[in-house]
Order: sequence, then structure tokens, then C-alpha cells
Amino acid sequence: MVLNTVKDIVRKSSIHVCIVNCGGCNGCDVELVALLSPRYDLEQYGIYVHNNPREADVLLVTGAVTEQWVTNLKRIYDKAPEPKIVVAVGNCPQSGDVFAQEGGKVHAPVSNFIPVDAAIPGCPPRPTEILSAILAVGPDAIAQRGREKK
Amino acid sequence: MSSLMWYIYDFARKAWVDGFANAKSKPEIVDMPSRFRNFPVVIKENCIGCGACTASCPSPHAIKLVRDEDTEEEEGKTYPVINQSSCIRCGFCAEVCPSEPKTLECGENHFILPEFNIIPSSRQYVVDDFLCIRCKKCIKACPVGAISVVDDRIVVNQLKCITCGDCVDVCKVNGAMKAVYLDNIQEQRKLIAFVVDTLEKFIESHKDDLRALEHNRLLQYEYPVSKLWNPILEFISDEEIAKEILVNAVTRLKIRVIDWNSEECKKCQLCIPDCPTKAISFDEKTDTIVRNEDKCLRCSICYQSCSFSVIKYFLAKFSMEVNDNNEEVISITVKTSPLISHIEEAVQ
Repeated sequence: MVLNTVKDIVRKSSIHVCIVNCGGCNGCDVELVALLSPRYDLEQYGIYVHNNPREADVLLVTGAVTEQWVTNLKRIYDKAPEPKIVVAVGNCPQSGDVFAQEGGKVHAPVSNFIPVDAAIPGCPPRPTEILSAILAVGPDAIAQRGREKK
Repeated sequence: MSSLMWYIYDFARKAWVDGFANAKSKPEIVDMPSRFRNFPVVIKENCIGCGACTASCPSPHAIKLVRDEDTEEEEGKTYPVINQSSCIRCGFCAEVCPSEPKTLECGENHFILPEFNIIPSSRQYVVDDFLCIRCKKCIKACPVGAISVVDDRIVVNQLKCITCGDCVDVCKVNGAMKAVYLDNIQEQRKLIAFVVDTLEKFIESHKDDLRALEHNRLLQYEYPVSKLWNPILEFISDEEIAKEILVNAVTRLKIRVIDWNSEECKKCQLCIPDCPTKAISFDEKTDTIVRNEDKCLRCSICYQSCSFSVIKYFLAKFSMEVNDNNEEVISITVKTSPLISHIEEAVQ
């Protein structure tokens, strides 16, 4: 019980994030990088971008899932340790956005391949929208998932 | 030591402790700017179901027109539904939405109406680059700075021009700055063609005078404007405009007249192959050389090729004047071609 509480506090206050761009236009990635800048300062909330799925608690998925990412997306998801949550950033991972044209070669949505916990609409979403979404879903979801009995 | 003291002091501050325990971005960073173009807002009541928004949307699944089910009271409404996970917030749908007021509102761009920047006027001010002497008086006179030098030419910017006419008043060269009427250009062409035709026929009707005219002498006629006036008003009913076009046309008009006395003609037919437009031909029935006036360019080649100096070539100039009876007339001056003197000199 005490252990769980301590784990909760640690999990909530230190979130490691991995950005996974599975074939988009980089617009959302630029907004994510803006989050690290002093203006938005993601790290003041204890969120760190590591870009290493083996350390990640949160996978930020951007992009419309191109041919190569169909298999690799699952591999990256499997590499992340439990508990983990997936946040789809932008429209591409949700619907394919402008790339989902007739005869297009994208395999959106991401939820066909890995479970998605939260989605942020926008093309691209504002950095503050991403930030508030991560904060709203991230800490509690991780803590909750950590307590789930497997 | 001092740096350690400084760290302890810094960590002990209340602001730091607060920030550590409860991190928060500043509201001006988190809040959306007032003009931020967010997802479109749909106002169902205004929709006319035209589908312009779906046609303009660059994203395949972002907008769908849906229709509610009919109830007993009324037909189901048609309206667009925005799929936020596909919408790219470009605002095109709101800009193309033709309903009044708009069905879709997105940002503020579609509320901005194009600025009214062209003053409605029947005239357009144009610089005649051939006549313009580039004195730049018009540039100084223009109250709105619409005239400028572009590639060594004086150019009027039609978007800035307020058609005040100051440039025409100040222009030293008659006709270099033109105030062109735009509404009835075809009628203006007909009017000018009519005036030129009438004046040429009038000069050609004085055959005896022309044939007797020695070179270095002038013929002078007066043609009353009142005779032209009624047919002119048939082309353009506005007297003021018609008068201006007539004056502009007449003061700068030069007519070249070609005439020959068929009785003196030796019928050598030398002029026929020389004519560049095949306007001259031999009429076998009447045994004369005839000229087709519609084809004739008045280029004077026939006059130069005539071996017997039968073909005569005259230059006529015109000006608007008021004669002694206080009557408006077109004063006509006719002289023989200057070429004749050159030929005579060459002969001597």
C-alpha cells in the first residue's frame, strides 16, 4: 500500500516521453519541439523527452503510418516498458488527414495497430493543447495502469 | 562558499517552492490568442445545403453534409458536420460559405471584406508614351501620388487614381495625358471614322481647286461643326463627351489625299503593280484607272511611281476655330506633298 503510493508519486512526477513520427509532414514534431523551448517548458512538469522507447512512459505518435511503419509501430510499442500510454498527436494518426486521399498509401489510424489512450486534434495542434492533453491524461493514467493487476 | 549560500537562498524562496510543488504555465502562454483560427463553428440554421464547404475542403474526411430525418412538422435540416480529427483549421469552408449570415465561422478572415479601392469613373487616365516629354509635371500635380516613373515611362496607377484630372490640366503636351472614356469605345471609334470620312470627302469634292494648287501654296476651307453635329449625336448621345472626342480627334488629325484627273491619265498602268494593297485597278468598261478607297492606305507610292505626274498627293491639317459669324468651324488647310519639291530639285 505504502509502496503503491510512493510509486504513484514517482510515476506522476517523472514522465519520460518518446516521439514516434510514423510518416507525417513534421508539422506536429516541430510543435512538440516547441514544447521543450523555454516558452512552454515541458520539463517544469517533470516530463522529459528521451526519444528512447525502452525508457518511455508515454509514446507521442505523429504521422499517418506509412508502409514501413505498419510493422515497426508495434515493435516500438512492445519495447516500451509497462505502464505506458500512447497519445496520438495531430490529425494524421487519427484519420490520415490530408494524406488519406483516394489511392493514398497511408494506413491511418494508428489505433488499428496499437491501443491509443488519448488523441489531440489539430493540424498541427498548438503546443499548449499538446501540453494540456499530456498533463490531463498522462500522470493519472500511468499511475492507474501501474496499479493494474496483470 | 558564496555560491552554495546562493543556492540555499534560492531554494528557500517561496516562488521556487511553489513552482516545484505546483508547476504551471503562465496564462498568456496557455491562452489562445484572440485571433487564433480554431475549428469551425457550425450554425445549423443558416445552412442552405449548397456543399461549397465540402468542395473547398482540402482534407478528405473533414466535412460532411448531413441531413436530419424528416419529422411530421418539417423537413430535416441539412448542415455540415466537422470531423475535428481531420480538420486542418484552414478556414476555407468559412470563406466560401455563401449563406448570409455565414453557416460556418472559422477565425476572422471571412469577416474581412475587400477594401473599396477603385473610384467609379467613366474615365481612365492614360499616358501616351509617344507624345510624353517626361517633364514630370503630372507627378508633382497628382494629389494622391498615383503617377510614377516605371522603366523610364510615366505610368498612372489605376488603383490609386482618383480621376481628379489635375494631371491633364498641368500637362504641357496636348494629348500626352489622355482621359479616355471607357464606356463607349466602339462608338468613339465609329464617331472618329465618320468625322475623318466626312472631312476627306469634303476635301476631295474640291477637285478643281486641288488640281490647280501649285506647290508652296495653301488651300483653306472651313467646315461648320453644326453639319457634323446631328450624326455625331447618333453615335454618342452625351454632348459633352461627343464634343471632347471630336475636338481631340480633329486637332491632331492629318489626312493625306490622293487624287488624279482621269482625263490626263495616260493609262500606262505603272501604278497598279506598285500598290501594296492592290487598291488600284484598271476598269475595262469605262477605260479608266480606278482606286478602291477602302483598300487604299494613302501611302503615296502610286504618286511616286506615276511617270507623268498625273497622280497628286496632298496633306491636310485641321483645327477647331470660331469664325467671324461666331460659328464653330473646322478649319482645313491643304498643301501639296513635300515630296514634289524633292523631285523637282532632283530633276534640276
